[in-house]
Amino acid sequence: MKRWCWALILTALIAPASVRAQVVVTKSMNEVSLLDMSAFKSRSDGAPELFRRTLEADLNRSEYFKIVAGGRAEFALAGEADLDGSSLSARCEAYNTITRERHLSKTFKGSGAKARPLAHKAADEIVLALTGRPGMASSRFVLVGNRTGNKELYLCDADGQNLRQLTRDKTLSLFPKWGPGGNQIVYTSFRSHFSDVYLITFRGNSWKGRSIAGFPGLNTCAAISPDGREVALTLSKDGNPDLFIMKISGKRLTRLTSTPRAGEASPSWSPDGRRIVFVSDRSGSPQLYIVSRSGGEPKRITSASSQNVDPDWGANGFIAYSSLIGRQFQVFILNPETLETRQLTQEDASYEDPCWAPDKRHLACTRTERYHSRIFIVDMITHSGINLLPDSATGDWSSPSWSQK
Amino acid sequence: MTRTRWFGMLVIVLACAMCFSTGCRKKKSARGSEGMIGGNLGQGDTEQTAFGSRPEGALNILIDIQVDAVLFDYDSTQIGEMERSKLDQVADYLKNQNTKAGVIIEGNCDERGSAEYNMALGERRALAARAYLVSLGVDGDAMQTKSLGKENPVNPGHDEDAWRVNRRDEFVFFEK
Repeated sequence: MKRWCWALILTALIAPASVRAQVVVTKSMNEVSLLDMSAFKSRSDGAPELFRRTLEADLNRSEYFKIVAGGRAEFALAGEADLDGSSLSARCEAYNTITRERHLSKTFKGSGAKARPLAHKAADEIVLALTGRPGMASSRFVLVGNRTGNKELYLCDADGQNLRQLTRDKTLSLFPKWGPGGNQIVYTSFRSHFSDVYLITFRGNSWKGRSIAGFPGLNTCAAISPDGREVALTLSKDGNPDLFIMKISGKRLTRLTSTPRAGEASPSWSPDGRRIVFVSDRSGSPQLYIVSRSGGEPKRITSASSQNVDPDWGANGFIAYSSLIGRQFQVFILNPETLETRQLTQEDASYEDPCWAPDKRHLACTRTERYHSRIFIVDMITHSGINLLPDSATGDWSSPSWSQK
Repeated sequence: MTRTRWFGMLVIVLACAMCFSTGCRKKKSARGSEGMIGGNLGQGDTEQTAFGSRPEGALNILIDIQVDAVLFDYDSTQIGEMERSKLDQVADYLKNQNTKAGVIIEGNCDERGSAEYNMALGERRALAARAYLVSLGVDGDAMQTKSLGKENPVNPGHDEDAWRVNRRDEFVFFEK
């Protein structure tokens, strides 16, 4: 009963109003639809076949569909992927097999070398056309990895492919967070010997990084606001770790908390940018609080466990966080209006540092088992989970941030 | 009639303003030349003196002085009585033996708990040592604080013995 209520609430929240108006969503999101892909052909091995395989994997991964070949499926995808010289062209026709209504008819074109990103784009458009809900196939991760002996930032695609090293600071690089446009990352680095906040900006295939907070003491836990103009962060320049907001340029600092005997960390912005959820140990143990962006008295929102940390306020309105249960952390989601909570992870390992996917239903977190950590993707509807990276990705992985575009 | 009332109110407002401003000035002079940046918004029970600007470029680390790490209880930033002699050593060096030296106080945590939260906790451990050193008369300008959170354990183990030595402040002395 309780679970059913959650599903209803989540379904309502995940479908954005603008999309809901265009597409009639007849199914609740905890149903998986069969999608017959047998009428979608790749004309040759290489790029066309890579496109077809990537598209199939993306649609399965969305968890809205189970791809089948033939049989009685509610939806079907027809068309073909073909290579002409070096250019790839993929015609996709997605329709409802019962009503015969065609929801998408589009030819995706691009370089054969870009078969995978093109398939991700097609997958997101098919998900949107058939369910009215956003996909996640084209999004990217930034992660912390230690395979070089230092903690550096790495990027990979939403399906764990295309893993590559981003920073080469040769020190500690920590707590990366995407900005709203998917072209900026803030993180903490010890490049200067001290912990400073850096801003990375991508332009095409190149990127530039610069320090935006290097005050005496601690500079860390930066999070970019939903409008991309401001950064919330922890600074100790006045003698104690407190929360501040500043312009993304590093100017115009304003203080949000003032607790001489406690520390504040892990700010995350509400979707409308008006509130911030953060961690404070002012009560004696780390707990979650919400404060207005313009300051004022914070309101405590957790109490059930001795430690509630690492909040991420999703675009669906829910706050994901990790809570200490016994000796391990588990990922929970919390409705900040009702303070209802729900546990998402199994108690077979420690799950920390959750972040929301742009599809507003999946989360990524750090799963630690026997002191070895990997990135884990969990679906808040089915509670099923998979590793993000293939086993060939050696080393420990942590601190995922999922781009929202 | 109304004019005198207005005048009366003006006098009261001015008097209040003067009280307020002299009060402020008094507070400032009580804190001496070190002053305060920002401050703790009216909750002045932990006196913090200004940070000096950070040392620039490559640090010239001093190796003629080594002080054992100050250890902390779980989730605590209190400096226990047994640990204070280590800070007395730091103060003696900076005040009497080498007045050209500065110190970076590096706060650390054990591996348990959120990495981000532990950055704040480690910084508070470093700041606790700093506050104690200030109370011993060490110049605030000579000290920098740094938190490594749970990122730099001295013992890589996963038991109480390891955690006990990993919850610590280390002292790195450098030439100013």
